[in-house]
Amino acid sequence: MTTMATPTKPAAEAPAPVYNPKSESAGAKRAKSVIFHIVALALTAVVLYPALWMVASSFKPNAEIGGTNTSLWSNNFSFDNFVTAMDGIGGVSTLQFFTNSLVLAVGAVVGTILSASVSAYAFARIKFPGRSMFFGMMIATLLLPFHVVIIPQYIIFQQLGLVDTYVPLLIGKFLAADAFFVFLMVQFMRNLPAELDEAARIDGAGHVRIFGSIMLPLMKPALISTSIFSFIWSWNDFLGPLLYLNTPEKYPLPLALRLFVDQTQSSDYGAMIAMSVLALLPVLVFFLVFQRYIVEGVSTQGLKG
Amino acid sequence: MISRRNFLTTVALGTASAAALAACGQSAPAQTGSAENPVTINYTWWGNDDRAERTRKAIALFESKNPDIKVNGNFTDFAGYWQKRATEAAGGGLPDVMQWDLSYLRDYGQRNQLMDLGALKIDTSGLEKSLLPSGQIRGKTYGIPTSTNAFAVYYDPAKLKSLGVAEPDGNWTYDEYKTWLKEVGAKGNGTLFGSTDFTGIWWQFNIWLRQKNIEAFTEDGKLGFNKDDLKTWWNMASDLRGTPAIVSEERVTQLAPKSPFGSNVTVAENTWDNFMAGYLADSGAKELKVVPVPSDDPDNLGLFLKPSMLMVASAKTKFKDASARFIDFMINDPEVGQIFKTSRGVPASKKQRDGTTFEGTDKVVVDYEKSIEKYLKDAPEPPIVGFGTLEASFKRIGSDLNYGKLTVDSAADAWFKEAEDLIKQNA
Repeated sequence: MTTMATPTKPAAEAPAPVYNPKSESAGAKRAKSVIFHIVALALTAVVLYPALWMVASSFKPNAEIGGTNTSLWSNNFSFDNFVTAMDGIGGVSTLQFFTNSLVLAVGAVVGTILSASVSAYAFARIKFPGRSMFFGMMIATLLLPFHVVIIPQYIIFQQLGLVDTYVPLLIGKFLAADAFFVFLMVQFMRNLPAELDEAARIDGAGHVRIFGSIMLPLMKPALISTSIFSFIWSWNDFLGPLLYLNTPEKYPLPLALRLFVDQTQSSDYGAMIAMSVLALLPVLVFFLVFQRYIVEGVSTQGLKG
Repeated sequence: MISRRNFLTTVALGTASAAALAACGQSAPAQTGSAENPVTINYTWWGNDDRAERTRKAIALFESKNPDIKVNGNFTDFAGYWQKRATEAAGGGLPDVMQWDLSYLRDYGQRNQLMDLGALKIDTSGLEKSLLPSGQIRGKTYGIPTSTNAFAVYYDPAKLKSLGVAEPDGNWTYDEYKTWLKEVGAKGNGTLFGSTDFTGIWWQFNIWLRQKNIEAFTEDGKLGFNKDDLKTWWNMASDLRGTPAIVSEERVTQLAPKSPFGSNVTVAENTWDNFMAGYLADSGAKELKVVPVPSDDPDNLGLFLKPSMLMVASAKTKFKDASARFIDFMINDPEVGQIFKTSRGVPASKKQRDGTTFEGTDKVVVDYEKSIEKYLKDAPEPPIVGFGTLEASFKRIGSDLNYGKLTVDSAADAWFKEAEDLIKQNA
């Protein structure tokens, strides 16, 4: 990155060269750095506190969670909540809920990547009649609130006999119905130099070849961010599975999580929090594995030509 | 390669034929099943993992007794349950049999989404006569109560003992009740309070109206009480608000989603008697007791049994007979009572109640309902459409009152305006 720094940057912001007589003493610099880190750590603590509260509460008995209990630490530390959470609900094991969530999330990622990248290529690189109109229509779907289409959509899937399958939840992903991702990729592709395609065309490559051999590899950062977002959105989706799934064996995690808290009966906050902790792990791992590609992607984007 | 237009036509045709196929599949149903070829009905309920487990057992028992019927169980939490039902009702795909809540009965019943169960073979002879009207609208039975709740005052005997305050016997006037709350608040030393503002609870208000022989809603769905009634009611706690007899609204908000009573901040709470298990779990208390609500007329406590939930069937079910048998089983079978105990409320049917053994906290609730039997009057008809909104605004305005943001007069004006607008909208 540093090699790419633009020469127009004001000197004050650049790392102070050693020979500069105005440079601060080593002591002052250290003090500044210490203060900076303390402030940063304090802010991190504020931001992370809810997560910490969640993890701490997952080891507490139900009666000690929330209400008047403000302390993070409990003397009745136990793994009981995790045992309850892993017991499953109504004869369906928790592992099953995890598997279902994973199937849906991976399906969503695969579908979105495949369909959104192809559609984006068409919008960004192929001139066809009505392109800008279709593009406008796609953007317009972004403005349409999800709640407006719920009932018509449900009726369609119900008439097709597809309720209680994963089809209604996944088919949109495979048909590039997530306009946001298509838009993201179109914008990304428009920034890629058209000379690359032209060179390939001169060498005799068709659209398939240009897309597969030139666009896809260059689009890695966009593909990665799309994967991360669609994974997390699918993993957290509650309303879709709630409406379309009828068999508890097919439920993903968010539906199962709600079943520990029921205001009309009794609520097991402990088990719910324990399950939330477990449910967060895959997302966390997914993010940790892929986030370095985002950073990498952003940095390589600067290397033009 | 097919052209774009051809492609679209193909898709449209495919969609249409798939829809037609699906429709064909639905139009030739088997009305009754046999052991070799059972019919499958869908049953759905809300509740936590505990209820899911109990219901699973009940379904297994039903299937073993009725080999010609299979039951597909489906469950969600309460909030999601109604979102899902609303969507299904719009799409015409409600499940065959459903667990139902009183506040949604009129809404779905009036829109012909629910079946008139009166025409089906379901035995209701074991149910209290005073209870049945709560599932009926204009003579049609849309829901049959599985179980009942009664309104009560909860208290925590251990906390009262630690404060040196006597336990109430439930034979009290509103003044005596308020004096008791004040005493608890005074001795609570800023850490324990009497109760939440009881005048902010809709059902407590409704019961007070009944004690004065006023029905909350008239038969044609209008308000049965006037603004002065409401002002009198809200003024009843005027001298308690801001004192330790009533927990402050700030504290209530801090403690959410737990209730102040479940958080061990108050000593008493007025609510339905099926909250027992929830309070015990939230507070960790060993024992909680229930007594009747106060009344200035010792012969009229205004109490009634409210169905804690009902069983309903979809108007479009193709398996009327199987659905009726399942509903009958869930309501009357003593073994079902043994499975659920009081987790759905006290079993409504005498057959089921008598066949169930109650212990511990279950027994406290059952005994309470037995003790108030002689005071019970007819349950009110199903609440008007939009009642949930009214109840919520009653609570919201009540808490603004407790915050001190509103005076009693302006609170009554605000609620009446909302109520009248809503009734006009739904008329």
